[in-house]
Order: sequence, then structure tokens, then C-alpha cells
Amino acid sequence: MTSRWSYGRIAHLLLWCGLAVALVTVSIPKIYSGATEYPLRPGGALHTTDSYLKFATGTEGASKNLISMFESMPMSKPIVIFIHKGDAFSSGLGMTTAYLASPHPVRLCEIDGTHPDNELSLINPDKVVAVVFCRLTRPAWLPPGKVFGSGLEIVSIREKR
Amino acid sequence: MNALGLFGAFGTLFAAGYGLLALLVRRSLQLSLAEQIAFSWLFGTGAVSLLLWVFGFFANGLLLQGLVSVVCISLGMVGWKLKTPSQIRRKPRWFEVVLTAVITIEIAIVFYLSFVHTLGWDGLLNWEIKARYAFANGGVLPAAYFSDSGRAFSHPEYPLAIPFTELWLYLWLGESNQFCAKTIFPTFYLAGTFLLAAFAVRLSRRTWLGLLMAALLFFVPQITVEAGCASAGYADFPLSVFYLAAAGCLYCVVEQGNDVFFRLYAACLALLPWVKRDGLILWIVAAACGVLVILRARKPPLSSLAFLPGIVIICAWRLYLNATHALQAADFLPFNPETFRTHLNRALPLLSALVAEFYSLPTWSLFWFTVAVAFLYSLPRMRDPGVVALVVALIAPIVLYLSLYLFSSWPNYLDHVGLSISRLLMQVVPVGFLLIVLAVSRRPEKHPQQVEMPNRATCAMARSERTAVVELA
Repeated sequence: MTSRWSYGRIAHLLLWCGLAVALVTVSIPKIYSGATEYPLRPGGALHTTDSYLKFATGTEGASKNLISMFESMPMSKPIVIFIHKGDAFSSGLGMTTAYLASPHPVRLCEIDGTHPDNELSLINPDKVVAVVFCRLTRPAWLPPGKVFGSGLEIVSIREKR
Repeated sequence: MNALGLFGAFGTLFAAGYGLLALLVRRSLQLSLAEQIAFSWLFGTGAVSLLLWVFGFFANGLLLQGLVSVVCISLGMVGWKLKTPSQIRRKPRWFEVVLTAVITIEIAIVFYLSFVHTLGWDGLLNWEIKARYAFANGGVLPAAYFSDSGRAFSHPEYPLAIPFTELWLYLWLGESNQFCAKTIFPTFYLAGTFLLAAFAVRLSRRTWLGLLMAALLFFVPQITVEAGCASAGYADFPLSVFYLAAAGCLYCVVEQGNDVFFRLYAACLALLPWVKRDGLILWIVAAACGVLVILRARKPPLSSLAFLPGIVIICAWRLYLNATHALQAADFLPFNPETFRTHLNRALPLLSALVAEFYSLPTWSLFWFTVAVAFLYSLPRMRDPGVVALVVALIAPIVLYLSLYLFSSWPNYLDHVGLSISRLLMQVVPVGFLLIVLAVSRRPEKHPQQVEMPNRATCAMARSERTAVVELA
């Protein structure tokens, strides 16, 4: 009996019970808030990209429209995506667009300012199929493209006949 | 239709895994149902992803899916023939029933969370992207993807266990589906919980303690709700489950010198570098622990063949990346003594960042404090090679990961630490729980009579090879 309930054993039991209770007590508020933060939503094939695009541009179900737009473009030339250096939203939007643009080859161009005029002027329009602006201003000399909410614009470069 | 596709994909994954498990165990070890499910899942995902990659060299589309399915079903049939003996069940005590109910609810919550949340950033753009592109290309990743500088952000050099498991779901669903892809991650949580419970029972010889540890895993916020958690679609938690399996099996090898556990260890070890690039570090640590065990247990030299499958996978993947001219990640500077010397001044800030991370209650609750207490408990038992192996398996990856940041090429390396350290630490959390089990159970070596508990899941049962009860069955 003595060996079964020695002081050491009781201390051992109290220590580990205390640690277990403390671990659970500290965690519960965090886990509860994490678990109840979002409601259950219907899931679709493009569930995640739709959420990202809605968060970045405010547009619902934009992934499907982006995919159909890219599918209508010739595959031989790359899509140039301009993103703003230091802007996490812009680079996130750019990478999501690159993800959806597959199987087109893409080129991600990170620029310092918000006007990619200089970088665009260096691009040969015959060698790209579209230009994407992620939270960047389209130069006035470029014809307007399709706008998705706020911050995403895709200008399709038509082939010269 | 989606449900049917998912059923087919999961069924073949489990069948392949069960077949491999049965081949490895060869009726010479009693495994609980939980262990059989967990190992079947791990081996199933590993085998199917490897088969998709290998068969993808000469087949694609329906032929590829058909070939892999045939192998999975054949393995399943082999498994059925070699049926792994299950442990004899005894009547559970009331608190074991309560703990089992708690674990069931926790698993259900993790499934719920995975459906509520989207795939995390890396989950989509590092892992799912490969599954999607491979699916669009008939089940084979286009060679151009590896050298596409526009998609270098998606780390083409990362291995394919997770994306090709997602691809397997897509092949069965007939479409790439970001929502359904998430189902594999709570399944890894389920496998991790089952394995943690099973190993804890084997280590402590107390069923309630195993169940309690599995229940407590849920209460580490980094695993449940934090960025990069088990349901976010990242590879870190699956990697932690493979690592737990390798470390747990190794401990059981030490305990009883059972060859079956060594074979299971070798299989889990081989898959570590196939799950994530960081798995290479875990592979090195687990292999070093394996060498320690081989030497201490005086196992035959042939035991070192256990490292061969992993080496083959590492070399094959490296060769493949070279052949496809894959772009290399630019996150780290060249690993050489010169860089090490010039960046040694980062050591102290890195150490303080690590300590700050350990103290982060919203991320870890009191987990690391509890592990620290368990570590102190393990100090007097350092003569036991099993305990040494577990301590090394827990601490060495942390030290190595921290040293990696000395070579970070990020303009602010502490940003790099802040972004990834919690996920890297998560990879050793289940092993940390095993150390806690050892400390809590504090097995009374002085009183061997207390250890004799028939009909319990222990490493000791494995020693008996085919027990009389199994023979009878």
C-alpha cells in the first residue's frame, strides 16, 4: 500500500494531471474560436481559388470565368502577370491567376511601382497572349481588358492579321 | 458520383496499404484494428503515389489508373490471404469508452474543420497544383512544369506523396476538385491519432494512457486550428504521422528486438523523403536512430538494408529532378562552411526566436512545457537505447531545422523563421507525445510483476511471434 501511494507517486500524478488540465484549459478558447470562425459552406471543385479570388477582388465564383477566358486564348504564347513588389495581396492574386492559367506558360513580373508602363513597353506584344494586372494600374495606352472585381484585370492581346 | 469516386479511391488506397502491411507483418505480429487502419493508410498513400509516378513513365490516362488499380486490388487480395492477426479484445473500462468517444468527436471536428476551411496557401500552390496539372495531363506531371520559371513559386522540386494521393482521388472522381482533395488530410489526422494511441499503449502498457494521449493531440492548437494545421492541406502533419510511425516502431524494436517492427520502421523511413523535402532531415535523424538501435541491439549487418529503400527514393527523385531540369528553390544559400561561418551571428537571434515560439500559448498551449518536463523525466533513463532514440528523434530535427535558417537567403531571415518554424516543429509533435507517455507511465522496472498484463497491446506481445491464441484462431 505504501509503495502504491507514496508521496512521489502522488506528486507524479498531480503534476501530470495538472499539466493535462492546463493544456486543455489554455487550448479550448483558441480551438473554439478557430472552429466556429467560419460557417460550413457548400464545396465546389474550385472551392479554394474562388475563396481566394473573392477575398482579393470581391468577385464571387471568379475561378471558372478566369479558366474559360484563358482556355479561349491560343496556347503557344505565354501570359504575363504583373504583381506589385511588397504587396502580399497582389502576389497572391498573381500566383492564383498563374495556377488557373495552366496549361499556358506564364511569366510573373514583379514591379516596384503601381504603373508597369516601362516593363510593358519592353514586351513584344506579338510574343504574349495576355497581360494580367494584379492590383496595378493598366497603362492608358493599352486597350481595356476584362475586369474581375477590384484589383484584377486581364487584357487579351489579339494577334495581328 | 463524387461519393462513389471517393469510395473507390479510398478503397484502393486502403487495399494497397493493407496488402503491404500484411506482407511486412507476415502473420508474426498482433496488431490492433487501429494500427492496421493507420498503417494501411500510410502505406497505401505511399505506394499509390509511388506507383503513379513510376507507371507514369510509360502510361497515362485510363491505362495508368487501371494499372495502379490492378496493383492495389492485387495487394488487397494478398492482404486478405495473409490476414494480419488482430489483438484479442477485452471488455473496455468506462473511462476508456469515454476517451474513445472523445477521440471520435475530435476526429469528426477535424473533418468538419477541413470542410469549413479552404486549402491553405501552400496546400493549394505547392501541393494541390501538382495534382491538378498532372490530372489535366493524363495523370503525369508535364515535364515543362519542372522548368517553368513562371510557376517556380509552386516548388516543382517538392516530392509527390501528397499531390499524387490527391491525384489518385481526381482520377477516380474524373475531375480535379479542391474540396474533395481535402478529405485526405483529416484521414492523416485519423491515422496519426490511431498510431499515437497504439504506440502509447505499447510503450506504457496502459490502454487509458494511449487513449488520453490521442485525445490530447487535438488540444495542440497548431495541429487543430492554426495556419498549416492538420486540415489545411499542408504536408507537415502527414509527415509527422510517418515520422511518428518510424520512431514508434523503432522504440518497439528496442523493447523486444522484434523484426516485424523493424520492417515497419524501414517502410515508414523510406517514405519520409517522399512526403516532403524536409522529410530528408527526418530521414537522416530516424536513420541515425536506426543505426544506434542496430548497434545496441547487435542486429545482423543485413539490417542496414532497411535504409536502402529510402536511399533509392531519394536518389531516384534527385535524378528525375536533374533530368527534367527542375528549378531549385532559392530560399537557401549554398550549404558550405564559408556561408556557415559568415552567418553564425544569426545563432542567438534564431535561438531566441525558437524559445519565443515554444512560449507561444495560442499556437502550442502548454505542449512544449509538458515536453520539457517529460525530457527531464527521461534523463535518468538515458541508458535505455529506446529512450535515447526517442529523445534524439525529438530534439535532433529541431536543432537541424534551426541550423537551416543560418543559410536562409531571405532578406530578413527572422521572417523566414516566423513563417515556417511552427510547421516544422509540428512534424515532431507526435514524437513529443511519445516522450510524454514514457514520462507519465514511468514504467516501474523494479516491479516487473506490474508489467505482466495479458491481453493488452504491448511490444511484449510482439515477441511471442504466433501466440497460442492466434494459432487457435
